Amino acid sequence: MATDFWASSHYKRWIVDRATVKRARTEDLLYVDDPDYLDFLAIYFANVITKLGKKLQLRQRVIATATVFFRRFYLKNSYCETDPFVVISACCYVAAKAEESPVHIKNVVAESRALFSQENYNVKNFPTDNSKLAEMEFYLVDDLECDLTVFHPYRTLLTLCRTESCAGETEEGEAGELSVAMGSAGVGIGSDEGPRYWGTGQGQLELTSAALQTAWFIINDTYRSELCLLYPPHLIAVAAIYLTFILHPPSRISSPQSSQSDTHSQSHSSVPVAGANTQPRRSSRNAHSESSSSKAVQPPKPQDPITFLSELNVSLPLVATISQEIISMYALWDRYREDASPDVPKNTRDGGSPMTTGATSAAGSPVKRPSSRSGSMVLSGSTPSGSDLGDAAVGLVGVGAGTGDEIITPSFLSSVLLRMREARLTDMAQPTGGRLVAVNKMLERAQAAG
Amino acid sequence: MSILDEWSNGILQHDPMRLYRAKRDANHGAVSSKYAILGFISSGTYGRVYKAQSLEEDGRIHAIKKFKPDKEGDVITYTGISQSAIREIALNREIDHENIVALKEVILEDKSIYMVFEYAEHDFLQVIHHHSQTIRTPISTAVLKSLIYQLINGLIYLHASHILHRDLKPANILITSSGVVKIGDLGLARLIYQPLQPLFAGDKVVVTIWYRAPELLMGAKHYNKAIDCWAVGCVMAELASLRPIFKGEEAKLDSKKNVPFQRDQLIKIFEVMGTPSEKDWPGLVHMPEYPNMKRLDEFSYRLAEWCQSRIRSAQGYELLRQLFAYDPDSRLTAKDALQHKWFHEEPLPTWNAFQSVPPNQIPPHRRITQDEAPSMMPLPTQNAQTQHTQHMGASSVHHMGAPFSKPGSSTSMSGGGVYGQSTATTGGGNGHGGGMPSRKKARMG
Repeated sequence: MATDFWASSHYKRWIVDRATVKRARTEDLLYVDDPDYLDFLAIYFANVITKLGKKLQLRQRVIATATVFFRRFYLKNSYCETDPFVVISACCYVAAKAEESPVHIKNVVAESRALFSQENYNVKNFPTDNSKLAEMEFYLVDDLECDLTVFHPYRTLLTLCRTESCAGETEEGEAGELSVAMGSAGVGIGSDEGPRYWGTGQGQLELTSAALQTAWFIINDTYRSELCLLYPPHLIAVAAIYLTFILHPPSRISSPQSSQSDTHSQSHSSVPVAGANTQPRRSSRNAHSESSSSKAVQPPKPQDPITFLSELNVSLPLVATISQEIISMYALWDRYREDASPDVPKNTRDGGSPMTTGATSAAGSPVKRPSSRSGSMVLSGSTPSGSDLGDAAVGLVGVGAGTGDEIITPSFLSSVLLRMREARLTDMAQPTGGRLVAVNKMLERAQAAG
Repeated sequence: MSILDEWSNGILQHDPMRLYRAKRDANHGAVSSKYAILGFISSGTYGRVYKAQSLEEDGRIHAIKKFKPDKEGDVITYTGISQSAIREIALNREIDHENIVALKEVILEDKSIYMVFEYAEHDFLQVIHHHSQTIRTPISTAVLKSLIYQLINGLIYLHASHILHRDLKPANILITSSGVVKIGDLGLARLIYQPLQPLFAGDKVVVTIWYRAPELLMGAKHYNKAIDCWAVGCVMAELASLRPIFKGEEAKLDSKKNVPFQRDQLIKIFEVMGTPSEKDWPGLVHMPEYPNMKRLDEFSYRLAEWCQSRIRSAQGYELLRQLFAYDPDSRLTAKDALQHKWFHEEPLPTWNAFQSVPPNQIPPHRRITQDEAPSMMPLPTQNAQTQHTQHMGASSVHHMGAPFSKPGSSTSMSGGGVYGQSTATTGGGNGHGGGMPSRKKARMG
């Protein structure tokens, strides 16, 4: 099963169409002021899951699984009728077990309480005892229909692509995990036993480590949307690779010259991009890995990435659609800012840094995403140098999404969420079971529109 | 409106999932509304297994496994669904093979998990007992070969799916009344595709001691599918001789849960397979227990002799020899085992393993009893409190003999103690007969 996506519960039961995703929000739509907020909530919840996951020291794949569980749960439930924070805790708890790296329920409760009580989430009542979380776990597993094995695009990425110097890119966080994943895939057992589960593509695409990281981060970012419910993970991976080509100057990725210099040079200066400031301290490892891997390198031949992608047995129009959706997600995300809070230093790139520094204000440019905290596509160390990428991004997003739109913060969304839940309860309390609040909401909206 | 606000606030503060729970409880299907419990089959550390009949039209028979809630030590703090239940559920939801017990559904009700499996009338252990105790004749080669063939066929599927079973033994391998082998109990099984943590980090001890591969006994930190293949060899030998081939005494975990050197079990293996040499097994010297092993007496190889009266086929001996290769890397894989010449010589394996068996020699039906702890099944009249205490008491009785296993399995499991201290200390020393009291008790009840 691990290799056969087409026989998996993921494929058979949990890839749904957009109408289904939309229908799942019907109830919430009745109680939200602006339908757009629901999309922001999708980002908001993913960020909360990531934060909790980091506190619990979960690996990226576990966090991704928790996020998928969360999305699947809310295919069947409404935000306004549940407590999404308890659901988030349960998702992390179950995901850790499902991915065979369990954490103790006490830790989950303690970390959840600590995180959610922060000002921007303002959850005052997170349960103190284990049993509430255990109860939620039960409901969660039931609503997940016991389908706890989830496929992720990371695997496809690592199957399709390789890099010469991946072992040298050992940063903490996601980058570290990436290289660990590259280096030790399949502890105890060769991980290359199964054929690729979607088709017959041959060989591997050679990427610079920076490019591979970018692709990895784009995949991380896709969990901020509902993409994981809509498309098979391998297609998301291919879309992420495709976007990587656009964001990274292609010459660095695939031209014969660059690949030659990558493979044959032992010097770091030829390793493109990749946070120059951090290179010295990993120099020995870097050199080692390069020398050891260069033995296995075939004579460099020109490798056209587009040809490579087109030779994969996947639907390219679908990949294009997914890429578009990833870009829209970035555009939306550009309006989402972390609150300034005590534990988030204001000055860092990841804090609430405004996108609008003149040059980039024209577009919701993905490369300017302020989110390295959560292992987003752009990491400090590997942020590709300026203008060409900026241009690429502008081209990608097209019409600027950011200008003039309001900025959405977690605090704001927390209060939106609370109001939704209160309103839903108020309606439930009506003796007739009517939906006064819901009706009022619709009236307000109609008036505003008219 | 302000009163309402206050009210809704109160709910949000104190019972945030109230709406959700109300919705859930309104449309949940109870076990008792779908199945009639016919009787109790067996119990173990993980819970209890019942025979049940579907109340749907087909009236099909099922085995329902009810998990006990996970608890820590003696203090009953509910810590959620156990890792082993999560595993068994998660893996079973993905797999589908003729030779693996099929999961029909999972019901979560009143803090209990019920896994509804297809029913199998027999298991390997029961067949062994039937032959050793009742009809007192060896299992015929035709049956032996069919059982092993189907077992390997199921194992190939698991391994191709990157799943290690990690607890293959006669009690966990079932047979339907139409003679089809079904591998069961994936409670220790694990997906090994790109694990986030090395396997040994999760479970210190895997596989019941008699079926445990030498690399595990030698303290190897890394292991692979070959451990299941070793267990297949043990099962084949046990079917052929009607008793465990390597019946060692398990050295118990110490108070710090350190895994001790399994001296006796290794000696039992060496007595038949000879002391391993570096030539047989290049990795041997790197094994953590190598220094301990060197202190043991030297034994010579006598598997051929062992097989002479028991397997009665040169090819059969050859298969066993390759399954018992010391070096995990040169041990026969499940895939290669299925291609073995033994399966191509007469008598050929059959899909109904009992095809050649006269009706009067077919093993009897699985025995079921009235549940000694009827509270394990939901009864409307009982409140949760008594339910809990009763079930704790009853299951501790069953702990004496057997960790979770199918009927009759308690005997071979008594020395096993894979699952925990409580089992091991109470029943461990008694050897083969250790589990009998609890089993008899179950039958009388």
